[in-house]
Amino acid sequence: VRRPDDRAVAPRPPLDQVLARRRVVSCVGPGGVGKTTTAAALALRAAMTGKRSLVLTIDPARRLANSLGLKALGNRETRIGEDLFRAAGLRPRGEMYAMMLDLKLTWDELVQRQAPSPERARQILENRLYQKLSTAMAGSLEYMAMEKVYELHSSGRFDVVVLDTPPTANALDFLRAPDRILDVLDNDAMRILLGPMLKASRIGLKLFALPTGLALRTLARFTGQDFLRDLAHFVVAFEGMYEGFKQRAVQVKRLLAGPETAFVLVTTPSPLSIEDALFFHRSLQADGITTAAVAVNRVQRDPHRLGGPDSAPALREALQLAQVPDGGNPPLSQRLARTLVEQATLADLDRRQVQELSRTLPGVPLYVVPRLRKDVHDLAGLWQIDEFLSAAEE
Amino acid sequence: VPRAAPDSRAELLDRRLVVVTGKGGTGKSTLSAALALAASRRDKRVLVCEVTARERVSELFGRPASGPQIRELAPNLYSVHVRPPEAMREYGLMILRYQTLYNLVFENKVVRYFLTAAPSLAEIVMLGKVFWHAAREMERGRPRWDLVVLDAPATGHGLNLLTVPDVFLGIVSEGPLARDMRDMQSLLKDPARCRTCIVTLPEEMPANEAIELHRALDQHGLPQGALFLNGVFEPRFTPQERTQVARGGPLLAAAADAVESHEARADLSVRYRQLLGKEVQLPLLAVPYLFDRSFGPQAIEKVALAIEAAL
Repeated sequence: VRRPDDRAVAPRPPLDQVLARRRVVSCVGPGGVGKTTTAAALALRAAMTGKRSLVLTIDPARRLANSLGLKALGNRETRIGEDLFRAAGLRPRGEMYAMMLDLKLTWDELVQRQAPSPERARQILENRLYQKLSTAMAGSLEYMAMEKVYELHSSGRFDVVVLDTPPTANALDFLRAPDRILDVLDNDAMRILLGPMLKASRIGLKLFALPTGLALRTLARFTGQDFLRDLAHFVVAFEGMYEGFKQRAVQVKRLLAGPETAFVLVTTPSPLSIEDALFFHRSLQADGITTAAVAVNRVQRDPHRLGGPDSAPALREALQLAQVPDGGNPPLSQRLARTLVEQATLADLDRRQVQELSRTLPGVPLYVVPRLRKDVHDLAGLWQIDEFLSAAEE
Repeated sequence: VPRAAPDSRAELLDRRLVVVTGKGGTGKSTLSAALALAASRRDKRVLVCEVTARERVSELFGRPASGPQIRELAPNLYSVHVRPPEAMREYGLMILRYQTLYNLVFENKVVRYFLTAAPSLAEIVMLGKVFWHAAREMERGRPRWDLVVLDAPATGHGLNLLTVPDVFLGIVSEGPLARDMRDMQSLLKDPARCRTCIVTLPEEMPANEAIELHRALDQHGLPQGALFLNGVFEPRFTPQERTQVARGGPLLAAAADAVESHEARADLSVRYRQLLGKEVQLPLLAVPYLFDRSFGPQAIEKVALAIEAAL
């Protein structure tokens, strides 16, 4: 029985054509769906077609390093060497770079750039709270990823920057991170609350005014005095820098929401991943950002696309014809029948999920990458993915 | 090489708190649900705490979402969705003890603003609530829960959650919250009371992430219980059979494709089982791939049986 293959999606142009004019490509989606691999494949495609591309990854698990066969990536861009291309049988017309975000370093650089004086920058960098905040604060990673993308984009050194976003549970965290963090750095509420402490901090008293007011006293019970004291120092050190940070955040947001940036939704056909991906899509929509494309990784192909019988008795006959002994326990024909059923089940589940996703996102070009038989861990593997993403039509 | 485990696998469910973490999409919620089911079958009263944005465990049992209220999902098995706003309120009340004081302070606009902006506060209050269920909640003179299963966020965020006491105590060393954080830290680091389990898949990236997570947990002094290798395919065809079927012509084309798909995944299962066995000094529990059309109570039942068999 010959059945159509499982890639039943609407006609659409190749993905690199969809992204041709974009200078920032952000791969978003839930964790574990192959965002890093997709991001690296897109950067590779751009490099192959003559662009100078950079893929920026943020993941602490160093997955991109794995994908590119690199041992380590610093916070600085690393050019993917000729030897790796040659090993994959590829001849790029452009150049490909990769970078892994160093969270702490990116924060430090931002502070140094925004501080009115080196002295003030030093004060902040040495603040105990800053040292913890810069790496531990929720949304910090997302904010710095955006910051770094903006910096790389504005440097003009790359035709396209592909961002592999952190596996944020909540898409809103990702898009709203700059606002949230800027709120921490400067808000009137905190000023009112910490008022007495700020005063003391500003005139440089070593001995602190005790927290006044019930609210502050209770908070001190909650957090301890040291914390509030560090916080007051921190707020004072950041004084006057807020405007600079805010302007920067506005620019970053403008770039992300603008026509130069594309968001590519990445998912697998697993219902949980699709659910999360759709949540991302809706969050983007709520912020006025359209999803440029959706890539579905690891889609099981239906063995029946190749034809042949699938029942145990018919397989038994087919084995006889091919002079293959029907041995083993259970016999080969039975194991084959079971395996066909299982693999067809996987393919059918995936096909339904992809169709449903395609219906849910009308007008968004959808690309299916089948489940590959080998892990993708080198340029050759990435290029194989590119071929699926760039297929004109299924 | 014999892996001498001072903690036999059977003891995993005898802790007060079992934390389940691992890469996104590896099946943390499924394993959390199955562990809870296995424990409940041993006459333990179990609470599953979910702390990620979306609740899943209740759905896996075919029940409506529990939300912030503890709900029974199966005999002896309960779940709760721990969310920052409710956790903040409950935890604040626990520490301040008086509703009026809580209202006065926490309902104060200025303070609320401060609290939503404070670093890691969401993690602190969520962990605080889980800790309360695992270590403090009493009923008729005995702990209300024999076992609390924490379905933790994925790797990076999961590690952030578990190390939040370390981070917090690095900033704050006094006050009731610091004392609580210290208790929480000692629970998470006490191998007799708490174990963190890692869930992974037989694929390169999840396996590497599991190895790194294992090392990171070790470095933070967080005792671990087991490594669950989820979605395992067992080899089904001999190399000779593979070759013969592949050469079997058009009549065996679909069968050959199915065989290769199956064996490709079985090869990965074997490879990563070996790698993980070598790199991760934990009991490794293989959970077979399930072909269920929907992931519901039946699937959880199968996973629980697989775990039971391995324990």
